[in-house]
Amino acid sequence: MSDRVSLTTDRPGRAATPKPPAPVRSRRLTDRRLAVAFIAPALLLLLGMSVFPLLWALYLSFTDYSATRGGPANFVGFGNYTAILTSAQVHLRAVTTLVYVVGAVTLQTVLGFTIAYLISRRTRGRGLLTTLFLVPMMLSPVVVGLFWRFMLDAQFGVVNSMLGSLGLGQVEWLTRQRTALISLIVVDTWQWTPFIMLIALAGLTAVPKYLYEAASIDRASEWFRFRTITLPLVWPLLLIAVLFRAIEAFRLFDLVYILTSGGPGVSTETLSFHVYKVAFLGFNTGTASAYGILMVLVVIVLTQLYLRYLNKLKED
Amino acid sequence: MRHPQRIGRLTAALLLMATTVAACGGDKDDDPTASAPKAPATIPELTTDPLTLSFIWFEWPPAQALEAFANKEYKKVRPNATIKVNTVPNANWHDAMFTQFAARKTDFDVAILDSQHIGEAVTNGNILDLTDFVKNNIDVNAYNPYLLAAYGQFPQAETGQRDENASLYGLPLLGDTWTMIYRKDLIGDKPPQTWDEMISAAEKCQADNPGVSGLAFHQANGSDAAAVTYNTVNGVYGGNLWDAPNRKIEGVLNDAAGQEAMEVLVNRMKPLTAKGSGNWFIDEVNAAVAQGKACIAFNWIAASGGLLDPKQSTLGTTREQILGKLGFATLPKQKTDLVPLGGMGMHVSAYSPAANQAEALNFMKWFEQADIQKKWAAAGGVPSRTDALASPEFLDAGPFNKVYADSVPRMRDMWNVPEYARLVDIENTNVNAALNGAKSPKAALDDIAKQQQDVLDSSGRKGGGGL
Repeated sequence: MSDRVSLTTDRPGRAATPKPPAPVRSRRLTDRRLAVAFIAPALLLLLGMSVFPLLWALYLSFTDYSATRGGPANFVGFGNYTAILTSAQVHLRAVTTLVYVVGAVTLQTVLGFTIAYLISRRTRGRGLLTTLFLVPMMLSPVVVGLFWRFMLDAQFGVVNSMLGSLGLGQVEWLTRQRTALISLIVVDTWQWTPFIMLIALAGLTAVPKYLYEAASIDRASEWFRFRTITLPLVWPLLLIAVLFRAIEAFRLFDLVYILTSGGPGVSTETLSFHVYKVAFLGFNTGTASAYGILMVLVVIVLTQLYLRYLNKLKED
Repeated sequence: MRHPQRIGRLTAALLLMATTVAACGGDKDDDPTASAPKAPATIPELTTDPLTLSFIWFEWPPAQALEAFANKEYKKVRPNATIKVNTVPNANWHDAMFTQFAARKTDFDVAILDSQHIGEAVTNGNILDLTDFVKNNIDVNAYNPYLLAAYGQFPQAETGQRDENASLYGLPLLGDTWTMIYRKDLIGDKPPQTWDEMISAAEKCQADNPGVSGLAFHQANGSDAAAVTYNTVNGVYGGNLWDAPNRKIEGVLNDAAGQEAMEVLVNRMKPLTAKGSGNWFIDEVNAAVAQGKACIAFNWIAASGGLLDPKQSTLGTTREQILGKLGFATLPKQKTDLVPLGGMGMHVSAYSPAANQAEALNFMKWFEQADIQKKWAAAGGVPSRTDALASPEFLDAGPFNKVYADSVPRMRDMWNVPEYARLVDIENTNVNAALNGAKSPKAALDDIAKQQQDVLDSSGRKGGGGL
C-alpha cells in the first residue's frame, strides 16, 4: 500500500508533501445510501403528510364512510362521484366559484401589472413602495376577513360612512346577492394584487435595457414599446402568477367563512366551502373525499392545459 | 448498485402499507351498532392528585361565568381540581366537538352540547349514558320534567314531556330562551301582548324615531341564527317543525301555518329591521339595543347581561338609568304561546380518562344540588331546578330572569336527531336567503321542507350522502 503514496513530485524544485490519508468510510455507506439517508426524513414526511392522506381520501371516496359514525367503510363504487357530478347544488357552487375565480384573478392581474409597471418606471423610492404594497399579502386571511367585515358593515362600517359623506346611499355589501360576491372579489383583490405585482415587477426588471434604447433610437412610441417589448417578455412570468392565483382562488374558503358564511342563502358558497359543509356538518366523509378528489382533478387538468400553453409560448 | 434503489422503494411501499393498516385496523369503535357507553351508577373513587377538568363551550359571557363560579365553589369541596372552560367561536362550536369525537380522542372531559346535538353524539357513542348514574345520584323530581328531558334525553320527548323510560345522556347546565327587549321610553312601559301588537308598536316607533329601527333579531346564516328566528315565528303562528313519529317534514313545515309564519317574518318583520342587518346574530342585536338603534329586539336571555353594563351602552351611565329605558318581557303570543328552548347540558366525553370521567360525574352531582344551583343563579347562571328558578337568588339576579321562569312552561325545541347539523344548515341558509331577498318566502319554505325531508330519507342511500 505504501508505494501508492507518492513521495515525489513531477514539479522539480518543490518539496514533496505527502497527501493526508482519506477518512475511513464504511464500505456499506456508499454515496447512494448516504443520499437516501439524507432525503429519507423529507421523503417520509411527504409520504405521511401528503401522499398517504391523498391515497386514503381516494380510497374513502369509493365508500360511504363517516368519520363520526364509525362503522365499516362500505364500497359504493362510483356512487359518490355520480352524485356529485349530477347534483344541482354542486353545479350552483361551481358557477359561483367560476365567477369568483375569473373576476378576482382578472382584476388582480390588471391591477397588479399596472402597479408593477408604474413602480418599474420610478428610480427613487421603488423599494419602499414595493414593501408597502406587499403588506396586505403578509396578513392572515382571517384577519383580513374580520376587518373587512367591520369596514363593509352596512350600519357601522367605514365604507358606508364615507359613501354617506359623499352624499351616496348605504350599500348592503355583505347581505345582498349581487354585492356579496363583488365584496369577496374586492377583498381578495386587495389582499392578493401585490402577489401579481411582485412577479410582474421581477419580469419587468429583467427586460434588457438595450431593447428600449434601440426602440428609442427608432423613435418608437411608448405604446409600441410596451406592446412589442415589455408585454411579450413579461407575459410568460405573468401567466405563472395567474396560474398560482387561479389555483388559490379556486380553493377559497377562509374569506367566505368570515365575511359571508356563504350567504345570503348560498349565493357566495364556493366549492371549498361546500366541501367543508359536507365533511363537517353531516360528516359524510366518503362524499367529501370524492368531492375533494374531483376538485384536485379539475385543478390538475386545467394546470396541464395551461402549462402546455406556456411551453408552446416558450418554444415560439 | 441497484439494491439501494430497490430497498428505498420497498421501504416506501412498506411504510405506506403500515400507515394504511394502522389507520384502518384495530379500531374497536368501528362497530356499526356502537352506542353511548354507560357511566357507572355510583361515582368511582376520586383521585387526590391535581386534576384539570376541561369543558368545551362557545365564547360568550356564561362560559367565563361558569369557569369563575366552578373554580370558586367546587374547589371548596375538591381542592385538587381545577376547572377549565375552553371556548371556540360560536360558528365552530359543533365542529370543534365533533371533529374530536370523530378522532375518538378529546381534549375536553365535559362537552357542553346544545340540546339538539344529543342525537348525533349518542348514536355515534361519543358521550356516556348517564341513566343509572342519574337514578342513583340526582333528584329528578326537583326539575321541570321537560327541562331534564331537553338537555339529556334521547330519543327526544314530545314538547313539554319527559319519557321516564328513556335514557339520559346529560344534565342541565344553563337554561335559556328568547326575551323581548323593548324601549320603555319609546313604546311605553307595557310590553306588547300579541305578535300583531308587537309589529304595530315597532312600526309606530320606527316612524316616530328616525334612525331607530323597529325591530332587531337574528338573521345570520351561521350557527342556528336565522333558523331559530323562523322556528319561533312558526311556533307562535301555530306551525309545526315536523311530524316526529313519522319523520315527516314536507307538508308539515310548509303547511298553511308555516307559510303564514314565513310571510309574517319576511314581509312584515324584516322591513322593520335596520338596513344590512341580514347577517346579524347575538352580538349585533345587542349592539343595536345598547346603542339605542332598535325599538324592540329579541335575543337569548343568557347573552343579555351586557345590555345593563353602562360601559357598553349609550342608554345611560348607570344600570338604573338603562333599566329606565329598557324593558324585558316574555315573547308575545299569537295563535299559540310557544317560545324557543335554548340552553345547554353537560355531557361526559366517552374518550376522557377514567379519573377525569369520575371527576366529571362528581362535578355534575355537586352542581345539581339545590344550594349550588341557587349560587349558580346568583353568579349569573340560569338553573333548571324548580326550587332554584323560584328562588330570590335567581329572580333578583337580573331583570330578565323572571322572563325565563315564566317562559319555562311555554318552551319548544327543535329536532335532536343525528342529522341535526344538516337540518339546521338547510333552514338557516334558506331563511337567510328569504330575509335578504335571494328567495321568495314560499320558495324558501318549500325548499327547506324538501331538502330536510331528503336528509331524513337518505339514511339508507348508497353514496352521495351530504349533498
